[in-house]
Amino acid sequence: MKGFDLMAILLNPEFGRMLWHGAQMTLVIALGSWLFAMSLAVVLLVVRLTPSRIAQRGVVAYVSYHQNVPTLVQLMLWYFGISSLLPDVLQGWLGEHSGESVFAIIALGLCQAAYFSEDLRSGLRSVPPGQAEAARALGHGYVGAMRHVLMPQAIRNAVPALVNHSVSLFKNSSLAMAIGVAELTHAVKEIENQSFRAFESYLIATLMYLAFSLLIMFAGAWLGRRARVATAR
Amino acid sequence: MITFSNVNKWYGDYRALADINAEVQKGEVVVVCGPSGSGKSTLIRTVNRLEEIKSGRLTFDGQDVHAPMSSAQLNRLRSRVGFVFQSFNLFPHLSALDNVMLSPMHVNGVKRSEARDQAMQLLERVGLASKALSYPAQLSGGQQQRVAIARALAMKPPAMLFDEPTSALDPEMVGEVLAVMRSLAADGMTMMCVTHEMNFAREVADRVWFMDAGSILESAAPESFFKNPQHPRAQRFLSDLRAH
Amino acid sequence: MFSIFEILRDNWLLLLIGQYPNGPLGGIACTLILSVLGILLAFPLSVLLALARLSPWRLLNWPATALVYVARGVPLLMIILWVYFLVPLLIGRNVSGFVTMLCTLVLYEGAYLAEVVRAGIEALPKGQMEAARALGHSHLGAMRLVILPQALFNMLPSMLSQFVSTIKETTLGYVINVPELTFAANQINNQLLTKPFQVFFILAIIYFIVCWSLTRAATALERRIEARRAGPRRAGTAPQPTVVVETLAAEP
Repeated sequence: MKGFDLMAILLNPEFGRMLWHGAQMTLVIALGSWLFAMSLAVVLLVVRLTPSRIAQRGVVAYVSYHQNVPTLVQLMLWYFGISSLLPDVLQGWLGEHSGESVFAIIALGLCQAAYFSEDLRSGLRSVPPGQAEAARALGHGYVGAMRHVLMPQAIRNAVPALVNHSVSLFKNSSLAMAIGVAELTHAVKEIENQSFRAFESYLIATLMYLAFSLLIMFAGAWLGRRARVATAR
Repeated sequence: MITFSNVNKWYGDYRALADINAEVQKGEVVVVCGPSGSGKSTLIRTVNRLEEIKSGRLTFDGQDVHAPMSSAQLNRLRSRVGFVFQSFNLFPHLSALDNVMLSPMHVNGVKRSEARDQAMQLLERVGLASKALSYPAQLSGGQQQRVAIARALAMKPPAMLFDEPTSALDPEMVGEVLAVMRSLAADGMTMMCVTHEMNFAREVADRVWFMDAGSILESAAPESFFKNPQHPRAQRFLSDLRAH
Repeated sequence: MFSIFEILRDNWLLLLIGQYPNGPLGGIACTLILSVLGILLAFPLSVLLALARLSPWRLLNWPATALVYVARGVPLLMIILWVYFLVPLLIGRNVSGFVTMLCTLVLYEGAYLAEVVRAGIEALPKGQMEAARALGHSHLGAMRLVILPQALFNMLPSMLSQFVSTIKETTLGYVINVPELTFAANQINNQLLTKPFQVFFILAIIYFIVCWSLTRAATALERRIEARRAGPRRAGTAPQPTVVVETLAAEP
């Protein structure tokens, strides 16, 4: 077995390029799906709050599906299954324009939107009922009460859970490897194949993942502290 | 200002409010007292329709509170009834000043600078101008309740309702809140207060309503009520109070 | 869409037990065995890690905390690659994908369960430990006899929820050729080639049924435990807070 030599990986221009592109792809997928998931989560919450029973049941079914089916299976269903149902023209276009990444962002975004919307809903439920009463007593309508009193508190309550699930989303970007996206884990596996230096290449990727996850966790903790100071009862 | 005509509220067999007939005149201060479970809170909450009634008629400043109406109309009605909660219910994510400014701006359409000036004046009036930028978590219970009073006053209501405003406060802070309420009464505000503070009732109220089991059993001027309660249950209530 | 029933009819055995007896046990059977073994073996590890995290000795506390943060911050796929690489080195011979996946799950779930156990212990009123120490129990004795039994009972719904997560995590075994359900489905898809949507739809539905039923059981269990603990309400005793099943992070 060759001796431990980190620099053989880092200084090699080919490997360096692969690592850099892999990291970029990971961030693109993570950020893209995060934005998609957050926007969709707000929509899901609004739909859930409407008085229509059908709409509520729809959201419940959506959340239930995405929380109970493994994320990898969801990715496969989208990339292998649903793509085959698309018209050939669209399939061709996707094939040339990194369709894997598109499907990865869609699948991961849809999945995490379910978790984010539940986090927001829990945040809303933990706002004390007296707040809504006070808003009504002052004459605010439903929308006004939501906008100025309830949702600001709901979001602050939901920050810890949202941060946890954001870290999960970031980690799930590695699953895109299974459908061929050249993100960080994929890059590292390729480097290992070529250089036979598994330890060093894995270590680099692990440290990069860890650094970013810890960054999100600590930024989240700081946000959570600020939120709690403002809303402490 | 506030009239109750044959107001009733029940759940199945349980009578929450039984045949309430009473009136609060403009400029009058009415104190509602009685044992717990007597329906005092329910009564006061029907005035701004936080509770519904089953039969009867309730008017506020001439308007039928429980008539069918759109939510916009109800919101407008509520904005004219000042309500102070037992648990203050200040908005914790806003400063004291923002709490007072919020509703004039977004319900009454008052401009921000004007709302701010009025809010500062009200905070001065309740003695908390120095705490305008503090958040509720940084204020004591008595301070929070005074901000809550300012918040209700900011809507310029013709009448103020108080639902046990001092019951959740530590004893040493009760006085500062009662002082604000006293000054409001002295300025001629129409007030309806549910409270256990009998000294306040004696000194400030124009009438005292004694409630038990959903009915107003006695309605009298404070001196005659406290010296000479007519109804046996009122007598028992007052003697229980004095026993402490 | 009738092809779904055809596919099921032709391949149900493969989905259920994989290539057995012409190969290792696979399919749903493999998935469930892997999950059950994984969570059972992870459990004692998680209790030790939780106690280590709660201990005031830095020698115990810091490594345990580091392990938990690594498990929370590194993708499961990355950890699988590590274990796949390290285990043969450490024990000197090759191991099957199944064993690799099992080791990974034990480590990963051990760390996550440790957080669940820790939350359960911290949710108990301080008075419990104080009372036990006042009666003369040592710290570990109090843990064993008083704290852990209560904490673990309260944590049953959360642990059931982690079991569901474990089932979902077994799908990653596909990447290292563990013959579990997802692998079996991909085999079917590679044979049929023309019906990928139906195959993966079946796969999703199977997982949905399994996980959803278990999640429902967990919620029902949580409600029964809360009702049990609230008990006949006596003045002066407040019900203890349940650590809600909702708070667990998503697993791949």
